[in-house]
Amino acid sequence: MLARNPETRYQRWQRFVRGLVYGRDVNREVKAKARIGLAILAFATVYLVIAGRLVLFALVHDEHSARRGSGQDAVATARPDILDRRGKILATDIKGPSLYGEPRKIIDVDEAVELLTAVLPDLDANEVRERLSSKRGFVWLKREITPQQQRDIHRLGIPGIGFLTENRRIYPNGPVVSHALGFVNIDNQGIAGIEKWIDTRGLADLHLAGFATDRLQKPVEMSIDLRVQHAMREELAAAREKFKAKAAAGIVSDVRTGEIVAMVSEPDFDPNNPKEANDPTRINRLTTGVFEMGSTFKALTLAMALDSGKAGLNTTYDARTSLRYGRFNINDTHPLHRFITLSEVFTYSSNIGAARVALSMGVDAHKAFLKKLGQLDRLRTELPESAEPIVPKRWGELNTITIAFGHGLSVAPLQAVMGINAVVNGGYLVPPTFIKRSQDEAMKLATKVVSTATSDRMRYLMRLNAEKGTARKADVPGYYIGGKTGTAEKVVNGRYSKKQVLNSFTAILPADDPRYLVLIMLDEPQPLPETHGFITSGWNAVPAGGKVIERIAPLLGVAPRFDLPPADQLILGLTSSIKANR
Amino acid sequence: MSMRILNALIIGVLVLAASYVYKIKFESTQRVERAAKLRTEIRREQDTIAVLRAKLAQLEAPGRVQALAQRHLPLQPLTPQQFRSFDHLPERPPETVAPLPDRIGDLIDEGVGRVPVTSPMGGR
Repeated sequence: MLARNPETRYQRWQRFVRGLVYGRDVNREVKAKARIGLAILAFATVYLVIAGRLVLFALVHDEHSARRGSGQDAVATARPDILDRRGKILATDIKGPSLYGEPRKIIDVDEAVELLTAVLPDLDANEVRERLSSKRGFVWLKREITPQQQRDIHRLGIPGIGFLTENRRIYPNGPVVSHALGFVNIDNQGIAGIEKWIDTRGLADLHLAGFATDRLQKPVEMSIDLRVQHAMREELAAAREKFKAKAAAGIVSDVRTGEIVAMVSEPDFDPNNPKEANDPTRINRLTTGVFEMGSTFKALTLAMALDSGKAGLNTTYDARTSLRYGRFNINDTHPLHRFITLSEVFTYSSNIGAARVALSMGVDAHKAFLKKLGQLDRLRTELPESAEPIVPKRWGELNTITIAFGHGLSVAPLQAVMGINAVVNGGYLVPPTFIKRSQDEAMKLATKVVSTATSDRMRYLMRLNAEKGTARKADVPGYYIGGKTGTAEKVVNGRYSKKQVLNSFTAILPADDPRYLVLIMLDEPQPLPETHGFITSGWNAVPAGGKVIERIAPLLGVAPRFDLPPADQLILGLTSSIKANR
Repeated sequence: MSMRILNALIIGVLVLAASYVYKIKFESTQRVERAAKLRTEIRREQDTIAVLRAKLAQLEAPGRVQALAQRHLPLQPLTPQQFRSFDHLPERPPETVAPLPDRIGDLIDEGVGRVPVTSPMGGR
């Protein structure tokens, strides 16, 4: 009894527990088998998961490490280089470190601020403290620091402070090509000039998609020639200083392709320091300003008359007295008091003559011709900045009279350049461009606006003006320059001022077969003793233009030729069509 | 018995396969690391090239070159009269004096055959 008792107690206990766990009437053999099967399945699943993960690790491992390498990489967009037409760099990217902070990881904000401002004295301590105290995960502290500063900060060993390598835009030539190039913001996005054009062509989308970190993008080749641009800028700066002008501007344009080889608008700015560009006196006067171009427009008036076939070079116009229209009186600077020929209208720059030429064609023809030459619509180029011409709302006879000699219609100078290009290059209107373009491409875009014969005669007139007319001071021997001067009186307090003028000089070289057109503009030049107190274009813009041409012609590859016959033989002798007409 | 041999064989093959896969994996890891290293190096080189190109462009900026030339060279700006095409080049004037004996030239001619050079001594 005593021996059995504990055993039975134990067995009873056992049975009780088993009854609790398994239930009372269960076949435990079957149950055990099923359970083993379940255990096998569970272990097999675990091992399968482990095996699967291993395979996945092996597969994605490479991508993972590559991403780790590029984590430090550029945040700001990589931009394509911008080259001039000869392959010189106008804008390029270099990489530099930028400083950031992760406020959540920073232990002692005050210490961090103190240490950082010691290395970077130009850092605003309050702003940094505010940024580091914020709850954000990531804040920029300073963009574009030097490698030396990076080393110093790295040595401080502040937790939660790090560096990212960013692309930074560099303009090695500083202010030389400012307006055409434009500039970028701190995130390397173009906000003006060709830089903005690059963005609108799809770079911005690339950047958003995160693909624009590659520096192997195709460079953009501009039509600008850096040497010509530099020479022109220097001569214009000298002229601006000499004549104490408010501004000076100039364009060199390839008359056959419409390419802008140089474009300067003084005062300009340094694209490395874009803050300067906000100054309103530094705007690009050639595309964003509109001006009454003055006598330069007579070239278009005469081209219209010649192209209509109703007038020839020897058609005469009445310039005996000043032209009265209502209460307005049109005068000439050098009145001739006689009938003058069409050629004389040009060489003496007669306002009366030009007005009579335009009147003889009629208002509608005049308007239609200027429309055809693109003078009445906004000119759009690659540059995002452009200005709408100011066209009179009601265009009557008086408007035609004044517009004939370049008053009463304000256009962007680049627009006038396009028009005159068309008149002298054989009659093809080619939209101007800042991107390199071949002559074939240009011809595809061109529209014929005046006849070849008209163009020949216009070149003759331009050359005649350099031989006998107002452009004599620019006749650099050897380059056979032709040109037209313009002195536009500026409107001050609603009246045309005699003292404040906008002078321009448009030159073509060589006049017998033009390759380049040069436009020089001086805003409010002052009289000098050596100009005998005159402020007309012939005394300032023309000599400045001569100097520019003398410097840039060799760079443009225009070979000097001497002992050429005068215009009537060389240019008019060339075309039989004109001889028949005369 | 035959089952046992088969099992032994399979185990052997498994071990071999495993070691082979390990070797391949090891090598590929090494190569990937090398590729990553080279890529970093290439990127660094590209960055250096970009910096050097920017520096070069700064150094050869026309304004800088002009300032240096004006300071250090006695050169004047070119005038149009200084350009001449080859058509305008005058003919070489006829020799008025018999050329001096050109011993070195003769030696060359003897050795190599006649060489069409104009010696600086030839003129006078």
